[in-house]
Amino acid sequence: MASVKEKVQLRKTDSPTRKSFSERMVEYGEIDHEFVVFESDIGYSTYSYLFGDKYPDRYFNMGIAELGTMAAAAGMAADGRTVVVSGYGVFLTMRAVEVVRSFICYPHLNVKILSSHGGLTAAIDGVTHQATEDIAYMSTLPEMKVLAPCDKFSARAAFDIAMQTPGPVFTRLMRDPLWDMYTEKDTFRLGGSHVLRRGGDITLVSYGDIVFQALEAADLLAKEGIEAEVIDMYSVKPFDAETLLESARRTKAVLVAENHQKRNGLGYEIGTFLLKHYPWKSAGVKSLKFDHLGLEDTFGESGNYYKVIDKYGISGRAIAEAARRLLSGARR
Amino acid sequence: MGTTVGTEAKLDERIAFLKKQAQQVRLHIVKMIHKAQSGHPGGSLSAADIMTALYFDILNVDPKNPRWPDRDRFVLSKGHACPVWYVCLALRGFFPIEELDTLRQFESRLQGHPVSTKTPGVDATTGSLGIGFAQSIGMALEGKWLKKSYKVYALLGDGEMQEGVVWEAAASANKYKLDNLVAIIDNNNLQNDGYTDRIMPIEPLDKKFEAFGWTTRRIDGHNMEQILTTLREAKAHRGTPFCIIAQTVKGKGVSFMENVRGWHGKPPSDQELAQAIQEIEGGLK
Ligand SMILES: Cc1ncc(C[n+]2csc(CCOP(=O)(O)OP(=O)(O)O)c2C)c(N)n1
Ligand SMILES: [Mg+2]
Repeated sequence: MASVKEKVQLRKTDSPTRKSFSERMVEYGEIDHEFVVFESDIGYSTYSYLFGDKYPDRYFNMGIAELGTMAAAAGMAADGRTVVVSGYGVFLTMRAVEVVRSFICYPHLNVKILSSHGGLTAAIDGVTHQATEDIAYMSTLPEMKVLAPCDKFSARAAFDIAMQTPGPVFTRLMRDPLWDMYTEKDTFRLGGSHVLRRGGDITLVSYGDIVFQALEAADLLAKEGIEAEVIDMYSVKPFDAETLLESARRTKAVLVAENHQKRNGLGYEIGTFLLKHYPWKSAGVKSLKFDHLGLEDTFGESGNYYKVIDKYGISGRAIAEAARRLLSGARR
Repeated sequence: MGTTVGTEAKLDERIAFLKKQAQQVRLHIVKMIHKAQSGHPGGSLSAADIMTALYFDILNVDPKNPRWPDRDRFVLSKGHACPVWYVCLALRGFFPIEELDTLRQFESRLQGHPVSTKTPGVDATTGSLGIGFAQSIGMALEGKWLKKSYKVYALLGDGEMQEGVVWEAAASANKYKLDNLVAIIDNNNLQNDGYTDRIMPIEPLDKKFEAFGWTTRRIDGHNMEQILTTLREAKAHRGTPFCIIAQTVKGKGVSFMENVRGWHGKPPSDQELAQAIQEIEGGLK
């Protein structure tokens, strides 16, 4: 079961998750001398260059060649070695997806994908740089585990989880520094989650940058007397079904919000799970309300991060609105 | 109907005009990236002279009819350098110059990387390196198939040459004898993480393209006379695809940006903009 936070202390951070993850990778390099890092010419953007500066013989910058880089990483990992592959989500999860599927997941290699610019967090760069299908691609692959930390501390923990989990692990990271909500004392695990706010009226489930928006939504709803529970589902695959169910049985309403296509995102997974065996139909729960926010079968666009996520319906304001609608029973 | 801009003028007058025009292009580039506080100045400035020659001498395009079927195609395969493209398109009349101020902003037609369905004059959506060049193969194949006389011009980065798909495209251009295709490589020896010859060497580009069946020329990508005469040669060339390897300086025209890795994708501050403008205008005299 997830730990429950009394009150989350939000602090503006100076470190985007891509940086925190790479910083932890450098520290980890001292503990573990066996793993190597493959980069595809965006080391100054993913901060993997920090590792290269410290361990030049364990850092391979393969140039702008994501497909070949991923395949070379598979080769280096063939006998069990752990290899971190760094790059932007769009290129690693799409240009190199066949290699990830057939030659990393299938042979169950210890390849850890450091994937930056997840979702619309690369808002200003436009669609070609926005990984809005990465969770779908990666979580569909057998053997692959998927993590999506929301702040500095969970990003550092994600690196440790990736290293300590056998087989392929994909970690979705973000371009922009947002908010810190955890501390060094918080612990994270594969298949875990954190309840960041308790509430009995609706369960808001999210991951990555949208966790902060869910907390914002909960604040807005509280002003109207609606108490929202907020779950950070940082382990997207496998996700923490136990915590979700416990919460859903109490609130009888679940709203998943994600910076991703709705289709084949975490919301689809959770929706299917809740429908499958009606696992919530106990303790007198007769019906459950469910909705899901994300990109509605559309591409994003360039622009200010907040304006873009608001337009595509995953800002705190939009989540609060959807929660009200769901609770009032209004159809969209 | 599409026409090129005043090709009839004498060569030296033409060169003088294009040099002036290129400085205008550079001014707009630094201003718009400053305004957006986001974008890629280095690779936009290194391509400014080539792009100016293309848009103000070589390309047969019609701003009134951007999708004119017989136009020359242009593909910015190194899509991150779109500020230079947007400036050329605006100065050529495809959309109002004032619109340059909306670069990368919410609901703008000028997206962070080029999008064909949003910006008039943008023939191909790019931004993912290597793919633009491969798309230009399809455009050239269509031109051959339909017996059209237009040419397809693609501009690539030197770091971009590391993508495997670039070489798949180069091989297919040879098989289909795409002499309606001109590839121009902005060979500034810098990519995101450092010097190209250290990150992943790609030279000798001329020998590689020749081995792939292309005709190649290596030029100074900031010498307008060489740019113009070589592009005109490429335009008239028949029999093989044509590759121009343009030796350039990343950030060309702004001293503190020249040949500095850090100016790949960083906007100038107010002060830096003021200095950049001064230096570019100084070059105008
Ligand atoms: C497939 C792909 N991988 C990575 C990137 C990120 N990226 C954008 S520009 C760039 C460096 C480009 O270097 P180069 O081609 O030499 O261009 P220039 O120096 O002219 O800016 C990289 C790695 C991308 N846009 N597309
Ligand atoms: Mg370059």
